[in-house]
Amino acid sequence: MLKLDNISVTFNAGTNNEVRALKEVSLSLEEGDFVTVIGSNGAGKSTLFGVIAGAATADSGQIHLDGRDITHWPEYKRSQVIGRVFQDPRLGTCPGLTIRENLSLAAIHGRRTGLRRDVKQDQEQWFRDELASQNLGLEERLDTDVALLSGGQRQSITLIMATLVKPKLLLLDEHTAALDPKAAEQIITLTRELADRYEMSTVMITHSMQQACDLGSRVIMMHQGEIVFDISGRERYQLTPADLIDRFHSLDNAELSDAQVLGQTGSFSQKDLISLARTSSRNR
Amino acid sequence: MSSQANADSQGSDSLSNRYNFLLRGLLLIVVTGVVMSLGNVNIGAIGQGLGYALAGVCVFITYRILGFVDLTVDGAFPIGGAICAVLIAGGASPEAALLAAFVFGALTGLATALVDILFKIEGLLASIIVITATYTVTLRIMGGRSNIPLLGQETLISRHSRSFRGWLVEQFGDELKRQSTNLLEIMLFGGIVIVVLVILYWLMRSELGLAVRATGKNAQMVRATGINHNVMIVLGLMVANGLAGLSGSLVVQQFGFADVSLGFGLIIRGLAAVIIGEVLLRPKSTGQLLVAAVAGMLVFDISRAWIFSSLDLPTTDIQFVSALVVLAALGTPRLYERYKAYRQRFANTR
Repeated sequence: MLKLDNISVTFNAGTNNEVRALKEVSLSLEEGDFVTVIGSNGAGKSTLFGVIAGAATADSGQIHLDGRDITHWPEYKRSQVIGRVFQDPRLGTCPGLTIRENLSLAAIHGRRTGLRRDVKQDQEQWFRDELASQNLGLEERLDTDVALLSGGQRQSITLIMATLVKPKLLLLDEHTAALDPKAAEQIITLTRELADRYEMSTVMITHSMQQACDLGSRVIMMHQGEIVFDISGRERYQLTPADLIDRFHSLDNAELSDAQVLGQTGSFSQKDLISLARTSSRNR
Repeated sequence: MSSQANADSQGSDSLSNRYNFLLRGLLLIVVTGVVMSLGNVNIGAIGQGLGYALAGVCVFITYRILGFVDLTVDGAFPIGGAICAVLIAGGASPEAALLAAFVFGALTGLATALVDILFKIEGLLASIIVITATYTVTLRIMGGRSNIPLLGQETLISRHSRSFRGWLVEQFGDELKRQSTNLLEIMLFGGIVIVVLVILYWLMRSELGLAVRATGKNAQMVRATGINHNVMIVLGLMVANGLAGLSGSLVVQQFGFADVSLGFGLIIRGLAAVIIGEVLLRPKSTGQLLVAAVAGMLVFDISRAWIFSSLDLPTTDIQFVSALVVLAALGTPRLYERYKAYRQRFANTR
């Protein structure tokens, strides 16, 4: 379904600031896989997404999606088959336009834009149903400017927009990291629902070990531009956040920042913290 | 239950928005009328404002919708005027001249868009490069002359001026005879501006228009929905600068000559029009914003004419007065904000 072969990305090549963000990364995803990606800052997670979505270009290697070579497709063209939700809730929706207009734009997905009306009456019920499924009351506020909504509300609209026309692949880039705990939980619930309903292949970057264990059927850990662990199957189901942290500390120079431990928006339990403290001291 | 109530208040909000806008518009018309009659402002200022109005709409599209700092209007406007003058002097019909002016203006916009996209030069710089080049192109179009008079040629205005004057005298007597050209300009240009606004509104409310509007606000999101945002920038700049060219050809037919330096300072004028319109009318929807840009240009021209007539200045002072009006338009809202902040602080310390 999605296949990455020996993808390398280097930033600032040939200068003192040269960074090898991805080192010959290969990855293969099956139809309907839900993969969570973890790793410290600068591990290459976002670059990996950038390469798949077309925002960053690979120095070498190939990307295939559904058997088609998309290595040289521009970003907008890939977006016709790849849905994306960003960390920043402001990036996924367009302020100054209403909810209805934003959804209309997402409904165009992959078609050519023409001189048809921007908002269509026959889409109203569709939009209402999609919004109503979240119990946020947004279905009654179709004509509200999205700039007036909270981060959580905007993020759920982004999620709906990304999946309104079913994409082949859904990329979620820490899409709950900028939200308060309650909103983050709602978004995670919605994510799970959508992934189950459409059975689409999903890749989710997260900083929360808890989320990495709760969601999906496969965990990938990245470190210094490489995939260091790829856990799936039976092993994956027995995985706990503490295991992940253990594995994390077995790496060279791996640093788990406070933000990663505490910024999980409350999903980290007391027990996890104690086990974390234990593993940290053991490593020292 | 609460969400239902919320929706209802939203509905009445949009209705009250519309009423507010209409009310502000009426008030503006009344105040302008009073100022014009008390200050002895010639109604020619309205005709002139309508001639420049589409250049204001051009700036509105580039600056407010595309979020693109675009000075191309300074080049698209004289190029439209030049092609119009050359065609009319060569015996073409005024309508054909208008169309050609739109096309040439649009090509100027295309040039800026391509410089921006292909060379990744940001809009401000890209448009400066383009207007520098269009200066020569305009001179070439005018056959190396910097000025083409249209004396005795058939323009939109001269074509109807005699019959209109006759009709006016017949209906209202000799009183309005002196104003006949001005009234004709207002009616003709007013009609053209209204038609253009209707077409533009229709375009903005299409899928393409939606994509263009979204591009200015969040290009990343437009790309993420699978739409090529560069195409939207090209389209937006072409339509906007086409309108600037059209405006140039209207003004040339109004003045009776084309000049290579006709576009000088136009971006500032357009910016002032957009800001004046927004401050006075507080537009909320796309249609209201378009109307506000036109109204802003009219207010700009009328207030400038008012300053001229009340201070009795020579016409050579026109650019300084323009700059003052722009400064007032841009500065007043900011000064007011500072005044409010100052008062707030004062109230808190007490």
